[in-house]
Amino acid sequence: MNILTLIVFLPALGALLCLVVPRPHVRTVAVLFATLTFLVSLSLFGSFFGGAENAAGSFFGSSYGTLHNVERADWITGQRFAIEYFLGVDGLSLPLLILTTLVGLLACLASWNFDQWKINKGIRAYFILFLLLETGMLGVFVSLDFFLFYIFWEVMLLPMYFLIGVWGGPRREYAAIKFFLFTLAGSVLMLVALVAMYFYSDSAINSAMIAQGTPGGIESGYRDGAMLTHGTFDLIELAVNPAIQNHFNAASTVFLGIRFAPLMFMFLFIGFAIKLPCVPFHTWLPDAHVEAPTPISMILAGVLLKMGGYGFLRLCYPIFPAGALDWAFVLAVIGVVSILYGALCAMAQTDFKKLVAYSSVSHMGYVLLGIAVMTEAGFQGAMFQMIAHGISSPMCFFLVGVIYDRAHHREINRFGGLWLTMPRYGTMATIGFFASLGLPGLCGFIGEVWVLLGTFAAGSKFTWAYPMAILAASGVILTAGYILWLIRRVYLGREKEEYAGYSDASARETFILVPMAVLCIALGVLPMQTVFNYTNGTLDLMLQHIVGVIGMVS
Amino acid sequence: MTLDALTQLGPEFMLLIGACIVLIVGATAASQRVQWASPVALVVVLLAILATWRLGVPEGDTSIPGLWLTPLTYYVRWITLGIGALVILANWHQPSESERGEYMAMILFSLLGVLLTASANDLVVLFFTIELVSIPTYVLIALSRQDARAAESSVKYFFLGAMSAAILAYGLSFLYGAAGTTTIQTVGSGLSVAGHVTGAPVSSTALVGWLLIFAGLAFKVAAVPLHVYVADVYEGAASPITGMLGFVPKLAGFIALIKIFAAFDWTLPQSVFWLVWIVAAVTMTVGNTLALIQRNVKRMLAYSSVAHTGYMLVALLVGPVAGEGPMRDGVAALLFYVAIYGTMNLGAFAALTAFKTGQRAVETLDDIAGLAARAPIAALGLAVCAFSLMGFPPTAGFLGKLYVFGSAFSLGESHPFHQAVIALAIIGVINSAIGAAYYLRIVSTIYVRAEDAPAAPASGRPVRWCLAVCSIAMLILFAWPSQLASQARSATVALHATPTRYHAVSEDPDAANDTSPDDFDPGH
Repeated sequence: MNILTLIVFLPALGALLCLVVPRPHVRTVAVLFATLTFLVSLSLFGSFFGGAENAAGSFFGSSYGTLHNVERADWITGQRFAIEYFLGVDGLSLPLLILTTLVGLLACLASWNFDQWKINKGIRAYFILFLLLETGMLGVFVSLDFFLFYIFWEVMLLPMYFLIGVWGGPRREYAAIKFFLFTLAGSVLMLVALVAMYFYSDSAINSAMIAQGTPGGIESGYRDGAMLTHGTFDLIELAVNPAIQNHFNAASTVFLGIRFAPLMFMFLFIGFAIKLPCVPFHTWLPDAHVEAPTPISMILAGVLLKMGGYGFLRLCYPIFPAGALDWAFVLAVIGVVSILYGALCAMAQTDFKKLVAYSSVSHMGYVLLGIAVMTEAGFQGAMFQMIAHGISSPMCFFLVGVIYDRAHHREINRFGGLWLTMPRYGTMATIGFFASLGLPGLCGFIGEVWVLLGTFAAGSKFTWAYPMAILAASGVILTAGYILWLIRRVYLGREKEEYAGYSDASARETFILVPMAVLCIALGVLPMQTVFNYTNGTLDLMLQHIVGVIGMVS
Repeated sequence: MTLDALTQLGPEFMLLIGACIVLIVGATAASQRVQWASPVALVVVLLAILATWRLGVPEGDTSIPGLWLTPLTYYVRWITLGIGALVILANWHQPSESERGEYMAMILFSLLGVLLTASANDLVVLFFTIELVSIPTYVLIALSRQDARAAESSVKYFFLGAMSAAILAYGLSFLYGAAGTTTIQTVGSGLSVAGHVTGAPVSSTALVGWLLIFAGLAFKVAAVPLHVYVADVYEGAASPITGMLGFVPKLAGFIALIKIFAAFDWTLPQSVFWLVWIVAAVTMTVGNTLALIQRNVKRMLAYSSVAHTGYMLVALLVGPVAGEGPMRDGVAALLFYVAIYGTMNLGAFAALTAFKTGQRAVETLDDIAGLAARAPIAALGLAVCAFSLMGFPPTAGFLGKLYVFGSAFSLGESHPFHQAVIALAIIGVINSAIGAAYYLRIVSTIYVRAEDAPAAPASGRPVRWCLAVCSIAMLILFAWPSQLASQARSATVALHATPTRYHAVSEDPDAANDTSPDDFDPGH
């Protein structure tokens, strides 16, 4: 069995096991499988280390579409119609895959005190859903067949809906339904794009077969010897096959009278932008975060939001470069507005968790801006920002959870002096929030700086790039503003009597916080060794492909 | 007509004879302790399934006057009898003992009507079979429970149904007037409606006939504006029979529509195209919007049934023109969808049947609040059916919607209305997002809301089996849809005695490639 299949379905296997083991052991099984999944996923690094010397040369191949650990099999077939079970990793998905298994494991450990939750019924169902959620998330990152991707994308919604809806806070029903409907609205547009892309690729391949006079099919864009005779859901093929690319991005290809590439780009973009989320599609996020239990918030912030960014990079940009060019300005504006508006909203919050939620909106704005400008540094920075935020924000949510477990409220203004009361917790909190702030030497810094560099670098292409970069840079000040103010109000100051007897972070809590703190520092100090070496090859090749297609059509 | 020809109608005869036996068993067994009517009815349906399997796929047999046994017959037999068996399970304990014999017999008669509709190749036979489907349902609603509302909805359904039957008959007579024959498709030689209509511009007589038929059948399939009865009738009838009402008349109506559209060769004048387009768009939108504001689950599912009719009309409008494959052939998508819809809808109603609050059957959202805590397995079954109705993976409802909307997208640019059809599919996709809101409210009520009025288990095991089979089928058909989809596809291949425009219906994908390059894609 392929290692990716193993990684994706190990948590599901754990969920099956949770169904039968005695109730007290359910959480043990869950943690065991989350750990196993994490360890197995680490083995993917093996192929990287093997070719470490010439990583950029051989590992990422010479064009976008070099994959590793590929598994393909037909799933649903019909006449002139095939949906494949197609998994694979490249520099884009590998880091996100590892991030998912890591955050999954830590969030699973964070669920260990389930018995002490306010709603502690149904431990079995909770961990089953948790593990199914992990399977769904891993599936999204490794599926390279659009249909399979879409299925995992949707399936992942169900456990999330129940996890928020059943084990959430007082307004959980509202939050869960809002989360579900927002995402569903986005995926409906994605479904339209899915079907349209299939039939447009079908007609592209047909015309190519007629033009080339090869009734046996046309050659695949990246697989040696493979022939295409009908439309495809293969995300790499859709991006790299010249026949499909020419048809998709040509100005003469229209859908309902509107040019195909920009329209499909927008359909997909809205679907992913809701998940990212960026203004104006972000309103579900604060509600979902506030109501979700702590481990679910960690997953939501650490992994689910990354799917939006991953979707941009996997679908929107490589498949519809012409659309990317048309919308670049709009996307950059949305990105900058998200950065500033998210930060301002965060500043206005008095609820601890809501503040962290809005800070996510702000941080994800950098991802969108970095992608929108289409420069090497922009792409790299966006990717780094996703990974960095995937570590710092679950940490922040867990930090909120730790204090909520003790104080049972999240009012920022009622806290104070917690560093004195809980020194170990206070230290961790400082690392986590400073990483989120983007302090040099911690992980948040690299992503933001790379995005800003990338935006400036785009000045030669886009006249609007400089003002955008300046506005985005001013967002850094706002971020510093709300985080420093937060730290002052919660952790500094005189010790409050109300919280005097609180125990410091327990061994379990410390065990969850330390890996994230270490990674916050490691990513900030060694960005090449921890992230860039694994991602940049694929991203640069993808950018070359995008620029090449834009050059051809314009 | 020889005996050999009659054996081709094995499943139909089994239902007919079985219905008579059930009537007798029901009448004599009223005093006995064991109630035999339901088990006998189930055995009859299972035997009919066995007969269908043994007979295999009929190859266009016309030795029985008025009937034409095609792969469509075969497909409809399978899905009708399969879902029919589930309907009997859902209704196992339904009416009081003294009436159960008649009740089960009526279900069997109605199923028989559907099977014959699939074979009918004569306008008069088509009318009779449609009525054979409908008339038992009037009785079933009245018998289903001891309630003034059931009697009221039965009468309401009967009067409106009778009117629609009259409109249908009037329309069929116009077609007869235009064609000079009641035969729908020419098999071999002779006059037929299809032969009259094909090739030439459609005469105004035939067009009037078509319009009246569409109006009459729009009532059966519950399309706007002939949907007004749906909510009242669904609410009045007992839940398990409502599950059947959502499937049986709809299937029969759509088969009849397919036959009429096929006779017209899917080449309709522009005005007619836009009529169906508007009806489909309005049906989906009205159904979903009205469902959104309901508090009563049965009324909600009634309007959802209207909305699903709208989706099916999209596939009907596409027709088999684009040919090939599950995502291209609209009629195959429609036949696939109606089977999926029948199962998931029945599952939802079976879940309602399985519970009661006090002495009353559960009906409103408040009645099922917090159901998951009390009956986790039944709640899971209901949730699966709700997600399937929503069209959410990993359930078959998703594939059904995908095939329907995919078929609309597959119309190539050579089709005169391809943009309009794609726009309709987009309206449909948006509608299914609206629909998600109220299906999700059902799920949310059973899982998230606190328990205010806990429902207690009502009927016995069979209805639970029905729910289990329906929900598991939705999951299995998602993972392995190819068998059902390919059967639906072969059913549509045989819609035309002499395929005129469908030269591209080749089963073998390689065959198309062996021909000259211009024939690569028949849809474009």
